Amino acid sequence: MAQFEKEIVQAVLIADNNVWNFKPLSDEGSTALLPLVNVSMLDYALIALNRSGVEEVFVYASLYLQDVRDHIKAGIATYASWSFKMTVHVIGGEGCRCFGDAMRDLDAKALIRGNFILLGADTVTNADLRPVLEQHKRQAKFDKGTAATLVFKECSNNVRTGNELLIAVDRRNDRLHYHQRLKVHQKESRYQIPLDIFLGNSCVALHHNLLDPQIAIGSPSMLSLFSDNFDFQTRDDFVRGLLINEELLDSRIYVALLPAAQYAHKVNSWPAYQLVSRDIINRWAYPLVPDMGVYRLQQQYVFHKDNIYKSHEAHVSKVALHENVVIQAGSHVDSGSVISDSVIGLNCRIGKNCRLTNVFLMANVTVKDNCRLEHCVLGEGAIVNEDCDVSAGCVLGAKSVLPAKTKLAKTLITSTPTTQLTDDQEQQEAPVELQSLGPHAFIISDLTTGDPEDSDGDDFLPQQALSIPKMGDLLAPLDEMSYCSDHSEDDDDASRAVTPLPDDTNIFLGEVIDSLTRGYREKSNPDFLILEINSSRYAYNMSLKEVNFNVVKAVFGMQSIVEPANSNVLVAINAAFKQLGPVVSNYIKSEDAMLDCLKALEDVYEENPLVREKISQIVHYLYDKDFVSEDAIQAWYEQLDDQEHAQLRQSLAKLVQWLDQSSEEDDDDDDEDED
Amino acid sequence: MHEQPLKEVTQLIHAIKVGLVEGSYNITNKTLDIFKYIIMSKSWQNADALMQIVRAQCRILQSALPQETVSSNIARRILKLTREEFDLLHAKVQHIADDSQASLSLHKLVTQTSESNVMSDYTVPQQGLREALLDHLQEVETELETSSENICVQAEEHIHSSEIILTLGHSRSVENFLKRAIKKRQSLTIIVAECAPACRGHNLAASLASEKNVEIIVIPDAAIFAMMSRVNKVIIGTHSVLANGGLRAACGAYTVALAAKHYSVPVIVLAPMYKLSPLHLCEQDAFNMVGCAEDVIPYDSIPAREAKVYSPMFDYVPPELITLFISNTGGHAPSYVYRLLTELYHPEDLEI
Repeated sequence: MAQFEKEIVQAVLIADNNVWNFKPLSDEGSTALLPLVNVSMLDYALIALNRSGVEEVFVYASLYLQDVRDHIKAGIATYASWSFKMTVHVIGGEGCRCFGDAMRDLDAKALIRGNFILLGADTVTNADLRPVLEQHKRQAKFDKGTAATLVFKECSNNVRTGNELLIAVDRRNDRLHYHQRLKVHQKESRYQIPLDIFLGNSCVALHHNLLDPQIAIGSPSMLSLFSDNFDFQTRDDFVRGLLINEELLDSRIYVALLPAAQYAHKVNSWPAYQLVSRDIINRWAYPLVPDMGVYRLQQQYVFHKDNIYKSHEAHVSKVALHENVVIQAGSHVDSGSVISDSVIGLNCRIGKNCRLTNVFLMANVTVKDNCRLEHCVLGEGAIVNEDCDVSAGCVLGAKSVLPAKTKLAKTLITSTPTTQLTDDQEQQEAPVELQSLGPHAFIISDLTTGDPEDSDGDDFLPQQALSIPKMGDLLAPLDEMSYCSDHSEDDDDASRAVTPLPDDTNIFLGEVIDSLTRGYREKSNPDFLILEINSSRYAYNMSLKEVNFNVVKAVFGMQSIVEPANSNVLVAINAAFKQLGPVVSNYIKSEDAMLDCLKALEDVYEENPLVREKISQIVHYLYDKDFVSEDAIQAWYEQLDDQEHAQLRQSLAKLVQWLDQSSEEDDDDDDEDED
Repeated sequence: MHEQPLKEVTQLIHAIKVGLVEGSYNITNKTLDIFKYIIMSKSWQNADALMQIVRAQCRILQSALPQETVSSNIARRILKLTREEFDLLHAKVQHIADDSQASLSLHKLVTQTSESNVMSDYTVPQQGLREALLDHLQEVETELETSSENICVQAEEHIHSSEIILTLGHSRSVENFLKRAIKKRQSLTIIVAECAPACRGHNLAASLASEKNVEIIVIPDAAIFAMMSRVNKVIIGTHSVLANGGLRAACGAYTVALAAKHYSVPVIVLAPMYKLSPLHLCEQDAFNMVGCAEDVIPYDSIPAREAKVYSPMFDYVPPELITLFISNTGGHAPSYVYRLLTELYHPEDLEI
């Protein structure tokens, strides 16, 4: 009988995949249940699946499993629109720490029987995924190694929320060849794409304006690939791993683009939250808009002009609502207050003469008289007392109470002094004393270390403290961005040295940089470093020439040289070579190796503006310390192309001339030119 | 007030929201099926209980889909039917009990109605009510099924050879009506306004173009006024007819009606009886539905960031711009709609 059974469409929803950016609200409850325009994000994802004809959904939650379960139960009881023709199972466990764990667990449970739709619980989309699923099935018939089809949406390149990417796709069969996330805060002026992609394929399309809404169609093999490769933590790891080891894993990834009329966006940070809220209010996500009653059976709002959605049971005068406002039942706004671009939850109370712009109030929030709120989120039950001024991306945790006359900007507030026990162990390791604003208001740090669950894929970047992206004016980044692209080219170049490229050489380079940076910091024995570099060398099958080249490049690629203290690159280089000199001289022995070393310097010269300024001094320094010989420098200088490296030649001309003279005069006056 | 919706009702609401059930005819049909199911079920013992169930479910439908008035209309029909059948059966019983052979004289009629108004005790269980209702429901169903055909039959009366007809968007009644006219009349010219942004007019034009002997012209909505001077008749469909004889019709209908008024072109509206709603245009904001912004302007365009984009679905067309309604029972003037409404629905059921 089994073979006659109709194949049902299954989907997997991963909740709480990316919670760091939603501090402090993520510490208090599941982010999947965070209301977005008064409907929880999980519901949006479920509705999207329901509209795509999915019949069985597995919601995978780790923390707050019970909350999610209760929510699903309540949804079914109140006839949520996704509860029709669709069964929802909530699964998961405390042990699951990342996306990869969830996939492995799913594989172990063997719940997925065929191709499935994979969605983050924080995805808002009105797309019909049926055609994409069909495309995937056709592809899978044709190519047995089809592991997944990633779904992307074209977008304008103006606002960055961290979900944008650059991909290279084979145009004939939509196969993914290259995948890179774009930076959040600035525009790249250049991209580095491995040449193999163009050599190996005759028809490659590059898309640099894509948005990743975290929608994918997975084959059953996708889950087993996660099981086989236990180091896959995020979906990006999976994509990267598959692209690098294409032949080894015999799996391929395909790409599908959503048509223009279909909206899809991922809500993974506060700016994205603001953006998607605005899009929903502006009806881009139609029919997932408040007045269509998408979630509940009953319609809750009446649509008024200027995108005002007002519940019949909300007590508010028409004058108070300016534009783009959603106000839910039971809320009360006193006279003299003006609200625009905001979402007001259930049973909120807003006092007299308040001014609210870009504010997101969850249920039962109280704002007392004469407050000014801008670009902030107020958690459930929060109270803001009289005459407060809260702006620029503040987030108030549930039940926090802000004392009167507080002025706040860019701060995260929680109601309890210690973050709750349900949080990660990192908090328990170092119990931080929180600054207090009042009995129920404590400032928490908005710094996050490079978060393992963060799917930004910046593992390659040096670990640095990143603050949570905050809300702000959505239009401002546009101007700032164009400003950046004009003037920040230099910074861009500097950081490109460490831009992740899924290429053996680059991985090798990355590892060498890591080894050297650690060795430099910990002052470890150079012999150990050499051993480490050699083992990396064999792991990535590097030729001696490449090793020489990359070791030198790695020294200059270290954080301390790329971003030296006081911008004094020479001091930094001196310090680095003092520690790492033996390592470098271990590799740079022969004349050929010296030439490799100088060629590496040439690369660094292109990338690092600080090095560019001091190139002749650096070369002289290397000569001084006997890393490179005079002959090598001259040979290298001869090789430099007149046109391409005119500037470099010019900077070196003096030095070479001096070398010539000194060799002629057989002079060994070495220490003259230092500084 | 917190009635539990029936499973069938919630499923219908979902189906309509998702777009599985489209068009007023289909919605009416499905709603009728649900009410038929309610009548057949054993959950009610007397007329009052039945009417309460029908009202409750109708309220749920109404709150979930305030714009789909046809489902409420059909509920009103059912309520009226229930009242009539009950009164009839009740009268019969009384007749037997009284054994008075006197037929319903005018005097008696008047006194009786006032009497029955006073008591109107629908809680009394009535034998045979269920069967009688089901019988009558069959009639309603047949009426619904034949409504489109009955409207089509009148095509010949209104459309003559070598006339130029203008229509807007894609209404199923209009499509059938025009197809009938094309068969019967020679060398018609039909101008179809495309009705952006959905451009459903294209579908209508494609469908009509498969007929012979007819010239089809598709025009953008902006050209309606320019074309109107040559047009002999405007024939449009509507989403619903309001109590004053005004229309809630596809967006663009007002443009058409105004242009027609300017050139004194008659405007004929095809409206089957189930589209007549005892509603007045009072709350301007809730009257309309606004569609997807993407239809109007691409999401990626720079102006879209700051613009407020509206894509309204309906137009209100005031009754003075309409010449004639054609329903399945014949032609009516807009001023006659109120009369039809009182015939169709019981006054007590206007507010559900």
